[in-house]
Amino acid sequence: MLNYIIALVLGVFFGFSLNKAGLTKYNKIVNVFRFTDMAVLKFMMTALAVSMSGLYFLRWLGFVTFPAVPATYLAGNAIGGLVFGVGMALAGY
Amino acid sequence: MKALIDYIRKDEWSPYVAGVLLGIVGILAVWLSDSLLGASGSFENLAGMLGKAIAPKLFDNLYFNFIMPPGITWSLVLFIGTFFGGLIGAATSGTLLWGKKSAVNPDEQWKRVFGTQTWKRWMWGFLGAIILEYGAGIAGGCTSGLAISGGMLLAPAAYIFIAAMFVSGIITAMIIYRARY
Repeated sequence: MLNYIIALVLGVFFGFSLNKAGLTKYNKIVNVFRFTDMAVLKFMMTALAVSMSGLYFLRWLGFVTFPAVPATYLAGNAIGGLVFGVGMALAGY
Repeated sequence: MKALIDYIRKDEWSPYVAGVLLGIVGILAVWLSDSLLGASGSFENLAGMLGKAIAPKLFDNLYFNFIMPPGITWSLVLFIGTFFGGLIGAATSGTLLWGKKSAVNPDEQWKRVFGTQTWKRWMWGFLGAIILEYGAGIAGGCTSGLAISGGMLLAPAAYIFIAAMFVSGIITAMIIYRARY
């Protein structure tokens, strides 16, 4: 139960940050593919850098163990990514 | 304090500030729940639940039994939270279009490229989302579930995915925008 409450609260902050970064807008998503507005990339890479360094630091302190990382299937990840990009540029979400 | 409240009420934050917030959420998800943030998986959990109720034979396969088992999962609850989080975000900036006519197709840039018809926006959104979700199913995650959550654990899959996503995204945008690219 506690786990679900955590999920709900984290979800709220997740959605909040997406909204404030403008990722809920069509033009933000498409313009990153046109190189006219790099907000999506700035947002994603900042999140990556923060959580990456935070998690590796916490693991070094012994507070967390990492969950199973998403599996690597070269073809699957690449083909999935290619299909995904088409959908993302079309829908703009 | 007032400056903080004013900043929260701003429609568009600096992507760096919002990114830090998402990064902290990503850390907490692993720390508190031993889970990764994700959005596309919850759709599959939900689809599996619906499918098993409507056509149990059709959905009795490897994918829906083992890879994406249906049910109220952590990521589904997260997704419900995400919905309300987005709602709160728009409400605090005063851009919430709930119940307003312009909410059906609010984007000016989209109208310039595709025209003003609402059904077109909905159709492309719907088709695009199907393609997007299908791609996420093949790759094993979406921008949040694979690219960010996998990336922060330095999973090679995440970086292959990001590269592929940008290749086809850029090509698709070029085709849609042609001379205006």
